Amino acid sequence: MRSETVGLIGYGSSVYEKTATRSEQGYMALAARAALDSAGLSPRDIDGISVSSTTLPPDNAVTLAEHFGLSPRWTSMGNAGGAGSVINVMDAVQAVESGRASCVLCLAGAAQDTEFFKDRINRFNRSVADYLAPHGFGGMNGLFGIIMRKHMETYGTRRESLGRISVDQRANAGQNDNALLRKPMTLEEYLNAPLIADPIRLFDCVLPCAGAEALIVAPLDRAQPGKGVRVVAAAERHNHPVGEVSPLRGGWETFREGFYDEAGFGPEDVQFIQAYDDYPIMVAVQIEDLGFCPKGEIGGFLDAHSLRWDGDLPLNTGGGQLSCGQTGGGGGMIGITEAVRQLRGEGGGRQVPGARRGLVSGYGMVGYGHGLSASAMMLEAVA
Amino acid sequence: MSLNPAYPPVRRTPENAPMLDAWQQRGEILLQRCDSCGAHLFYPRAVCPSCWAETTGWVPACGTGRIVSFSVVHKGLPDVFMAEAPILLAEIELAEGVLMIARVLCADPGRVTSGMAVAALPLAEARAFPLPTFRLEGAG
Ligand SMILES: [Zn+2]
Repeated sequence: MRSETVGLIGYGSSVYEKTATRSEQGYMALAARAALDSAGLSPRDIDGISVSSTTLPPDNAVTLAEHFGLSPRWTSMGNAGGAGSVINVMDAVQAVESGRASCVLCLAGAAQDTEFFKDRINRFNRSVADYLAPHGFGGMNGLFGIIMRKHMETYGTRRESLGRISVDQRANAGQNDNALLRKPMTLEEYLNAPLIADPIRLFDCVLPCAGAEALIVAPLDRAQPGKGVRVVAAAERHNHPVGEVSPLRGGWETFREGFYDEAGFGPEDVQFIQAYDDYPIMVAVQIEDLGFCPKGEIGGFLDAHSLRWDGDLPLNTGGGQLSCGQTGGGGGMIGITEAVRQLRGEGGGRQVPGARRGLVSGYGMVGYGHGLSASAMMLEAVA
Repeated sequence: MSLNPAYPPVRRTPENAPMLDAWQQRGEILLQRCDSCGAHLFYPRAVCPSCWAETTGWVPACGTGRIVSFSVVHKGLPDVFMAEAPILLAEIELAEGVLMIARVLCADPGRVTSGMAVAALPLAEARAFPLPTFRLEGAG
């Protein structure tokens, strides 16, 4: 889907913290206030709420409205984990186009703490809780260790290539005061980091943390001058490929062609990528499936490009989840807020020169062996 | 050996009860097989995901397979598994062609490679585990 008239007119991020000092709603309120400020709007303007969070239930978009003292006429809640925020924005754009809302606040985040992790077994979906957790599967690390090894053995992908994702994103985080991990990382440090779930080591993993992200979806003519961002293509796909347990591909390959047709341009015409980075191996799979290089050739592709904000293919220009920390479902929105920030020319010390078009992709909802949901969105600055 | 009560439990459902019982009582991997299209299924489901037939029967798997890929999990495990770490977690292709993720018991994970043959644990050891669990072929 695309829209000429409705898009993103505000964005915001809360502070990120290793130990939660407020509730999930508290972090969402911080992000929401920043998003409203960037749009030049007040809470009274909001008449739609859309949220993606794996940690919010049994609360939801409606109880958020109560918490925030809002009276929306449209709400929605995502069920696609880290692919959810892209989908929330798609839904919000269509809600505004159809007249069901005029200004939607999209939220995602978490306030993860020790109690949350003790209880996490009760938050898994049933295929994970019943058929993976009883084996001692090591959270998601074990599952993605299986996928990473398979990619390495199938295509000859080397850790030296995948490590460039973690290393260059860390360099990007050096220009982001909101990132929890900003200390420069060398490739040697990545390669020799402590083993977590071989072949996955420490710097293949995200740091769970507390924080939130927010976006404002509204008619583009309400954007402040030069600050609107248009959605020129967007798509989602779930449970592809059907029946595989540890696939080396995902839903992106099913919609790639139509996605670029809809946008009217291809991967060679974007100035940056914000990909869902729960693990470098999944960033690699997204880059392949979205057509930046053929399947299996990610190793050489990564070796040939700089992924830094000032490189020839900027990736996760704020540091991504790998350096900022993973705020639960907020990991699915951090790439969208960073894309909007860049397209508005507000990237500060990490501003990508000439950023007019950027690709965001989402991934999540781990089921029996892998993430079931894939999404992507092409964004363009309104001239 | 009996089921280690510290392992996270599998919720018993009408769909999975025969599979859980076959493993605990006989050390047998029981697979659903679709009455309509013949597909083997794991994990157990209410409908065949290939053809949506609602009637499925059960067939015992021969219990052997091969490691497609694997991870050796050292950290981030619940306490009960940390005491047994590292845990070898593998994608396994059973001889029947079914893919599953399962634990492979192995004293020396460093010598494991993808493609190695595995076999279901013998009954005496199987009882300790809530789900089908394997060892390297020829081990024990
Ligand atoms: Zn069938």
